[in-house]
Amino acid sequence: MANIAAKRVKREIKEVVKGGEGSLKLEVVSNSWTDLLGEITGPPDTPYEGGIFKLEIKIPETYPFTPPKVRFITKIWHPNVSSVTGAICLDILKDQWAAALTLRTVMLSIQALLAAAEPNDPQDAVVAKQYIENQQMFTLTARHWTNIYAEGPSGVWEFNQKVQLLLEMGVDEHKARVALSTYNWDVEDATEQLFS
Amino acid sequence: MSAESDMEYSDNDGDEYDYYGEVDDCDMDTVDQSKTDPEYFLFSCLRVEEVEKLLNESIELLSNSLQITPSLAKVILHAYEWNAQEIINKYKENANEVLIFSRVKSCVPSAPGNSNGSHCAVCADTNLLQKFSALACGHYFCNDCWAMHFEVQIMQGVSNTIQCMAPECEVRAPEDFVLSHVTKPSVRDRYQQFMFKDHVKSHPQLRFCPGPNCQWLFRAWVREGARRVECQGCELLTCFSCGAPHHAPTDCITIRLWLTKCADDSETANYISANTKDCPKCQICIEKNGGCNHMQCGSCRHDFCWVCLGDWKCHGSEYYECSRYKEDPNLASDSQHAQAREALKKYLHYYERWENHARSLKLEEQTLACLKSRINQKVMAGEGTWIDWQYLWDSAKLLKRCRYTLQYTYPFAYYMDNGPRKELFEYQQAQLEAEIENLSWKVERAETTDRGDLENQMDIAEKRRTTLLKDFLDININNASSSKV
Repeated sequence: MANIAAKRVKREIKEVVKGGEGSLKLEVVSNSWTDLLGEITGPPDTPYEGGIFKLEIKIPETYPFTPPKVRFITKIWHPNVSSVTGAICLDILKDQWAAALTLRTVMLSIQALLAAAEPNDPQDAVVAKQYIENQQMFTLTARHWTNIYAEGPSGVWEFNQKVQLLLEMGVDEHKARVALSTYNWDVEDATEQLFS
Repeated sequence: MSAESDMEYSDNDGDEYDYYGEVDDCDMDTVDQSKTDPEYFLFSCLRVEEVEKLLNESIELLSNSLQITPSLAKVILHAYEWNAQEIINKYKENANEVLIFSRVKSCVPSAPGNSNGSHCAVCADTNLLQKFSALACGHYFCNDCWAMHFEVQIMQGVSNTIQCMAPECEVRAPEDFVLSHVTKPSVRDRYQQFMFKDHVKSHPQLRFCPGPNCQWLFRAWVREGARRVECQGCELLTCFSCGAPHHAPTDCITIRLWLTKCADDSETANYISANTKDCPKCQICIEKNGGCNHMQCGSCRHDFCWVCLGDWKCHGSEYYECSRYKEDPNLASDSQHAQAREALKKYLHYYERWENHARSLKLEEQTLACLKSRINQKVMAGEGTWIDWQYLWDSAKLLKRCRYTLQYTYPFAYYMDNGPRKELFEYQQAQLEAEIENLSWKVERAETTDRGDLENQMDIAEKRRTTLLKDFLDININNASSSKV
């Protein structure tokens, strides 16, 4: 089976290169067809626009009869992606996988997921809650994360300041950002959670 | 269905305590059972071969009347929960709809076929020598890929619901298609095993006995409410409706709530209940160091009951008050903390009794084993024959049955709303509890001369049990109300 998997992966890397979509990139890591690195750009008209998101793609022995394991390496604020582990909640990576799907279609689906979140089937409950209750706050937060972690355009200046404020209090930068994002950028609430 | 509707109950002189009895005398007692046993439920215990025969009959019926292959019939029966008649009727109306619903056919028009077999989208091979095949949806793939696809799915435990390899195509692969591609005998065997399990699971009249390594199956026609089925093989008592241990008078939803709750909270509950209790008089912390529930506080010499913390003097005189849960009336200042503590106290009250009876049941299982050897000794010593001692054996079995019901009254009471109905329930529960303890005491000390007394006690305990079940087991309540209409 490994034979098919290797052959498929080689062909699929070519397919992505040939496909001509500038928004996708796929390459092998350390010459092994089982570990791949994917890259997608944030879709236009979304808070992820201008960002570049790295994906860790692991190919199982039984590929393509079982789905590849994909997660975000780049930290991202999205209802269907864990802000902690980068795990993705996407049907085609689970029970809706079909052997005829390819890594290119998987990456395109993830890109589509960034443009159209499914807050009712969340991977990250905190983000999903914000998405449902305060969409504007969600958009600003997601843009801020894109700016910090995915080389996106600069976001709300005030957010950076708030992170800086907690940083000076001795909090780890990422932890501070998570706490602030969770509490709608309310410094007091975030501090309380961090120091309780 | 008829078994349910002709269930009527009468108070008759119950010497039918043998109805649990042996399998052989089942038929003889059938009529009596349905009248006297509030838990009576018509079911049969089947072997794997018998179930296979049963399933095959349905498959044959459908494939003959619709002129389709047996493996296609299996896919359709699985989708329609084995209701062959419904399928036949619907098929006559609209065959296409039945095929789409069972996912034999695709709901979108079949794909433009590349049946000439030039290219397989899965292995990316363009091998002209390779053979291609497709399901009804027309998605062609090479046979090697199909074989590997099936193998992977089967090893993951999928059988009836293996789908086509094309994206978003939900068409299912019938048995003959799968087996024509899979050649490894071990994988084929696994597939057949999983198929059988899947068929049983999708069949509303069938259920596997959940006993460890048990090969028996149950068949019954009603699948709601607490329904007792006893396995012929491992003697396990389960509920046909939900597969949990048999739980009358508690219903299926409540017992699930209770069992989850116990699984979540029992560690804390065990620790608190096992380690500390405060003396009801001087509040000093007391650790129980013996089996007896009659406690005397080492500090203030107050005598009390370990289970209910009530004064020992007024304990045990009237009926067994200890089983009734009383809410603390002085709970006016209900701060959140006090409420949480009260909730925990309430839960622990019921949990302790539930656990206690479960433990007693296990101990009485041992008593049953001892009893056999005790009877043997008596018989060998010339003190009566086996028949003379039969009553003792029966009484131990009856004791087990009564205590079992008693154990399952505690989750029922825990989730009951306060009110006269709960009071009535707890009254009956207390009565049952008292009679069971009497019986237990007598069984442990029985000699031949006690026979009349013991049989009397058996009768009383069983009466209490059936009365409680008649009044509170909801399958009976529903029957009673529907028979009035």
